[in-house]
Amino acid sequence: MRSKLFAVAALLIVASMVLAACQPAAAPAPETIVQTVVVEGEVKEVVVTATPAPEAAKPAVLRINLGTYPDTIDPQKSSFVNEIAHLKLMYEGLTRLDGDLNTIPAAAEKWEYNADATEITFTMRPGLTYSDGTLLNAKRFEYSILRNIDPATAGEYAAITDDIKGAIEWRTADVANLSEEELATLKAGVMVQALDDAGQPCTDYEQTTCNTLKIGLAQPAPYFHVVMGLWVTFPAKEELIAEGGDIWWNASKFHVGNGPFVLQNLEPFVRAYFVPNAAYWRGAATYDIEYRYITDGAVSFEAYKNNEFDIVPLGAEDLATVQNDAVLSKEAQIYPGSCTFALMFHQLKEPFTDQKVREAFSYALDRETWVKDVLKGLGSSTLTWIPKGFPGYDAEENRWGFDPEAAKKAIAESSYGSVDKLPEITATFGDTPRNRVRWEWMVAKWKEVLGVDVKLNPVESTTFTGLTKDIKTAPQMFILGWCADYPDPQNWLSVYWKTGAFGERIGYSNPELDALLAQADSTIDPEARMKLYADAQRLLTDGAPVAFMWNNVNSYLVKPWVKGIIQTPQDSGWVGDNDPLTITIDTTMVP
Amino acid sequence: MGRFVVRRLLWLIPVILVVSGITFILMHSAPGGPWDRDLSARQVDPNTQRLLNEYYGLDKPLWRQFVAYIIGDYNKDGSFKCGLVCGNLGPSYRQRGLTIQQILFMPPEGKNFFYSRFGYSIRLGVYAMLFAVILGVPAGIISALKQNTWADYISLFIVTIGISVPNFVIAIFLIIIFASWLHVVSIVPRSWDQVDVWILPAIILGFGTMARTARLTRASMLEVMRMDYVRTARAKGMAERLVIFRHMLKNSLIPVVTMLGPSLAALVTGSFIIETMFGFPGMGRAYVTAIGQRDYSMIMGTTLIYAVLVALANLSVDLTYVLLDPRIRLD
Repeated sequence: MRSKLFAVAALLIVASMVLAACQPAAAPAPETIVQTVVVEGEVKEVVVTATPAPEAAKPAVLRINLGTYPDTIDPQKSSFVNEIAHLKLMYEGLTRLDGDLNTIPAAAEKWEYNADATEITFTMRPGLTYSDGTLLNAKRFEYSILRNIDPATAGEYAAITDDIKGAIEWRTADVANLSEEELATLKAGVMVQALDDAGQPCTDYEQTTCNTLKIGLAQPAPYFHVVMGLWVTFPAKEELIAEGGDIWWNASKFHVGNGPFVLQNLEPFVRAYFVPNAAYWRGAATYDIEYRYITDGAVSFEAYKNNEFDIVPLGAEDLATVQNDAVLSKEAQIYPGSCTFALMFHQLKEPFTDQKVREAFSYALDRETWVKDVLKGLGSSTLTWIPKGFPGYDAEENRWGFDPEAAKKAIAESSYGSVDKLPEITATFGDTPRNRVRWEWMVAKWKEVLGVDVKLNPVESTTFTGLTKDIKTAPQMFILGWCADYPDPQNWLSVYWKTGAFGERIGYSNPELDALLAQADSTIDPEARMKLYADAQRLLTDGAPVAFMWNNVNSYLVKPWVKGIIQTPQDSGWVGDNDPLTITIDTTMVP
Repeated sequence: MGRFVVRRLLWLIPVILVVSGITFILMHSAPGGPWDRDLSARQVDPNTQRLLNEYYGLDKPLWRQFVAYIIGDYNKDGSFKCGLVCGNLGPSYRQRGLTIQQILFMPPEGKNFFYSRFGYSIRLGVYAMLFAVILGVPAGIISALKQNTWADYISLFIVTIGISVPNFVIAIFLIIIFASWLHVVSIVPRSWDQVDVWILPAIILGFGTMARTARLTRASMLEVMRMDYVRTARAKGMAERLVIFRHMLKNSLIPVVTMLGPSLAALVTGSFIIETMFGFPGMGRAYVTAIGQRDYSMIMGTTLIYAVLVALANLSVDLTYVLLDPRIRLD
């Protein structure tokens, strides 16, 4: 009996679901109303036909598929592009990037370095407030920068502010074995100070005269104003972080920011809804933004075609469909990105200890065909490290490009003399269908040009990441890239190639390059500085430590009613997110 | 029966210990860790990694990490932090600040439990199961009763599709047909509060189970149909409807129920593919993502929840046997 009842109930539930799904949307219909009216003392009944009000104008909402839901939306703990895409809407740093990647004032009205660029002083923009109308003074930025350095925060990008005097000492302190007084002393040693108009340390967040932020630098760092535009400096409110505890970032009410948008609603893994910040100093945007998190490219593409999204990432698998479609091809926006990918040779593992072998493998790579056939046009070939569009790009560099004869000659000139004397060469990669295609192409090319057999070693993706992090476990040969944190050659060259930096994983260490980069990093004159970086980049390429291969492109589909987008290589998350204020939505075009 | 249930529930303790031990060994055997980042981006600074390892206890020997997870450990301030025995599934290493319980069971702002990841998965799993049973069992019965007729062939055709075609293929087909062409549903639900947005995910998730249920019901019915007691029931003039439902169906459901128990556990713990395709905020995506991210506590937590659900489902299957067949005695 019970099972019968259960079956009937279940049937009813499913039937109701089906019926609800099949129910057509009710169209507004004229409604007949009988009203009683008084006409010159006489009571009459009249029939009035009320015509429904026309549908309200469509609200302007920019619907974006961001893909993966963020792990955290805490400015001082975030590190991924999708996380930054949220933060950039809600907060703003002291500086920001314009459409040409120049650093321009944002929350700070101006800044100036001292004579030897060991100190930078920001002057706050007058009258700045948070979205809730409360004052935003320099003390807020002092807090956020110190919070980034604080070892208790353990932010994943904390090291990016290590140029600040005293920052490394506090950040890397042995917290477990130091007393609170010792830690307080280390904190006090960090040269970040909010000052009032009289030059005195600010007292609190309500102080209207707290307009100056002075930052001491451990060594000359004339690029530091660029770093101060990064998300790690975004001024989340101390009291809200304290109130929300460790998971403050997971609720919209604690995200009171100074950026162009306000997070109105956050439903984890489903959607984030942003409305314009009326208090934003550059004026309010004219549309809302909705982020959704569909990670399946095919579904995202279908939803875009179905007008359910206005902006979606365009994947390589959909590129041919888009290019062959008269409408979609006009909606595709493909433009240079901020990453360079290179074939990494482990400098301490044979045969790549020999520069001639490295040169040979580099010469044997036909990068143009690679971009056309393997990347399906979603990339551009390169022979240098800093990509086109970024300060420091070297358009003249042409060494180690595709040249089969030079490749064979280089092998002959190597200490091995011929390919049959080379030790076994293994290429390691994260095992994905895409990577398999890529490596099979590459191995075939080496076989064709050099006659060398390269073994493939696919490993699970996270395992691959783990292997490449350590000089001891890093594979003999693998592909790796670098994406800019900020558009300055210092970030491309010093951060990556100085001894002890990321390039060390393949055993790269060049004292001559270290010295040149140290000189460039501390040179104040912009022209002289850029010249030194250009020399450094040439010096890096001299030794062919890696084979530079391609730069990525950002690729999106954008509906025609989304106007005014300015593309930059530093877009993080979606096209135009560097400056959403330039964007408008023509709601008359929205179907 | 009571003793049986208690005994089976007590057996859960060693089951959980063994499952957690195996999971712990496997996940720590894989290279990489929770602080690994995309290789084209800045990696987490070694000092920050050290701080994070200290904070989360990942700097301790593995055996101690395991004991800390199961029983608990002393914090730096000397306080005892209880582990799994207190229902604590540990902190997430990637969703900083959140515990596994919060990620799986905490609803978003202003919503109830059914809007948590676990709640979403349970709802979808139940809908999928309803779909599977309501369509699968009758399809199996009809197939068996009308063996080798067009009804049987159609049913077998659908069942074969359900078993042989992967659900992500079915999903994209149904999305294109019902969302892109017919515009009956939207591909990206504006809100999971609408009933209609659940239909496609539930059908796709339950399709395989529906197919297996139909196949098993058919096979089981065919076997039961030839039994002496069915012939006797018919011979004594019992109405065909009663023969089918009272004698044949009830007896043929035992293997079906055996299969449905673990299926229900699998359905309510979510499906990575369905959740990925529909942007569904359930547990399946959390589980698979956690494996790639080496979010150890999340892997352990979701595995254990899955283990407990499977154990409970098996227990409920055993209890259902008694209802279906009075000859079965659990004690």
